[in-house]
Amino acid sequence: MIEVDQLVKRFGAVTAVDGLTFAVRPGHVTGFLGPNGAGKTTTMRVILGLDAPTSGTALINQRRYDTLIRPLHEVGALLDATALHGGRTARAHVLSIAQSNGIGRRRVAEVLRLAGLEAVAGRRVAGYSLGMKQRLGIAVALLGDPPVLMFDEPVNGLDTEGIAWIRQFLLALAADGRTVMVSSHLMSEMAQTADRLIVIGRGRLIADTTTAELIASSTRRDVLVRSPRAGELAGLLTARGATVTRQDDGGLAVTGVEAPAIGDLAAEHGIAVHALVPRSASLEDAYLDLTGESVDYRAAAPMPAAPEGAPGR
Amino acid sequence: MTATGAPLAVRARDVLACEWTKLFSVRSTFWTMLVAVVTPVAISTVVAEALANAPTKDAPLDPLLPGLFSLEYAVLAIGVLGVLAFSTEYGTGLIRTTFAAMPRRRAVLAAKAVVIGVVSLAAGELVAFASFFLVQAVLSSHGLGVSLSRPGVPGALLAEGILLCVVAMIGLALGAIVRHTAGGIAALVGLLILPGILALLPAPWGARLGRFTLLLAAHQVTALHPATNQFSPALSLLVLLAWPAVALLAAALMITRRDA
Repeated sequence: MIEVDQLVKRFGAVTAVDGLTFAVRPGHVTGFLGPNGAGKTTTMRVILGLDAPTSGTALINQRRYDTLIRPLHEVGALLDATALHGGRTARAHVLSIAQSNGIGRRRVAEVLRLAGLEAVAGRRVAGYSLGMKQRLGIAVALLGDPPVLMFDEPVNGLDTEGIAWIRQFLLALAADGRTVMVSSHLMSEMAQTADRLIVIGRGRLIADTTTAELIASSTRRDVLVRSPRAGELAGLLTARGATVTRQDDGGLAVTGVEAPAIGDLAAEHGIAVHALVPRSASLEDAYLDLTGESVDYRAAAPMPAAPEGAPGR
Repeated sequence: MTATGAPLAVRARDVLACEWTKLFSVRSTFWTMLVAVVTPVAISTVVAEALANAPTKDAPLDPLLPGLFSLEYAVLAIGVLGVLAFSTEYGTGLIRTTFAAMPRRRAVLAAKAVVIGVVSLAAGELVAFASFFLVQAVLSSHGLGVSLSRPGVPGALLAEGILLCVVAMIGLALGAIVRHTAGGIAALVGLLILPGILALLPAPWGARLGRFTLLLAAHQVTALHPATNQFSPALSLLVLLAWPAVALLAAALMITRRDA
């Protein structure tokens, strides 16, 4: 269990974390989401005792990190997989960290095997790919078999296979009853792994919810309607109190009236309907809705809209 | 949990083991040690030959001087070893993994100091005694050598070894304070060449301030004929030990106050 209470962290004039309060509970993969610069990494560093909070507290199993005697048995963390001495072999790297917490060579070999690095453990890590470094970082996080695990952007820069591997790993750890906290700026990634979400923007809490609730609460739920007499149908729907937006391709995006009612209305007036598709916002959309106002830097021009026929995520 | 109940001695051993593994699992350790040990031993014989054949002999030749001169090369290499211990961890970001595994940062500093201290002291004594025997072999052929049993010689040689340990500790502290390899080495070199710069000061001041510098203090401690316008050997030894003590103290203060 990770508990963050009224956490504030300022770097000079910049407030990176601004009164953040949340808890991460065991048995779930909890996504820690926010745009780049939202304060995710800073929050994790404070939790790990690396940065001192300006005010507020961050506790792991009711204790401050810097009071833990052998912290690797309590918390395993991967902050930056590339933070390695390139000249050291993977085995020496893991061994040195293991020794600091009284963990033996057998466990070192075990985590290297778990991470799939057994065969390359004798090689200098300078030659490792990013994916191998991520695996190495996870091996280190698992050393003390800790009940709490924290990963900062673990899938950044990974290929599809690596992403799938980490995802399964995180789910297995949570199924074990562990507390798993994973930060990401990519909602689409978290959608498939995390069942709980903590969303922050500009250092403040935006949402602390389940993944399902976040989708349901999104304002972007509508029904796509296609009809040869679209204009006529739009008028009837508007009269019923619906909000109708005509898309560039002639389709109607309808909110305020559910799909069955739209179908009935069209049938009543003998209007043929070629498509009637309830659309729920993707998690990505819900996330953008939430964080849209809290992004520090945004592109000056809006991004071109995706073609309507593009598969939803 | 048994982990939290581990006695202090066990935890100290763990942190030492960690730092020992780190030190000897990178190549830079072997290179700097090689330079620190081989170069001075090789150079000392050359210096001895040059001094023995010097045309002017107004001042009495200190038979330990060649060994000390050549040690100045070792001092640079071993100081770099000290700087690297922290600067590479800060440079790569590895320091966060280190401090996450060992939240007691001063214990990390202490463990690095012990490991590097032991290694540099061993290297220092090895160099001091090895070059002593080589230098005396050269000097003896000119009738200028001294034996190990001569009063003052064993102490001087021990002090030469301590000089390496002292500089390694200063390098370690600088690495922790500056947190950059290049900056740390620059600061170290600056400290070591301070005597040369102070020597340029007007008459009494060069010598007065020079007494406080590392290498001049080391000369006083290790010379068989200490200079009379400097601190006494005992006081110079204090100066020599005060430098690493102050540097490590500053490092210990800063390492806990700054974000990693």
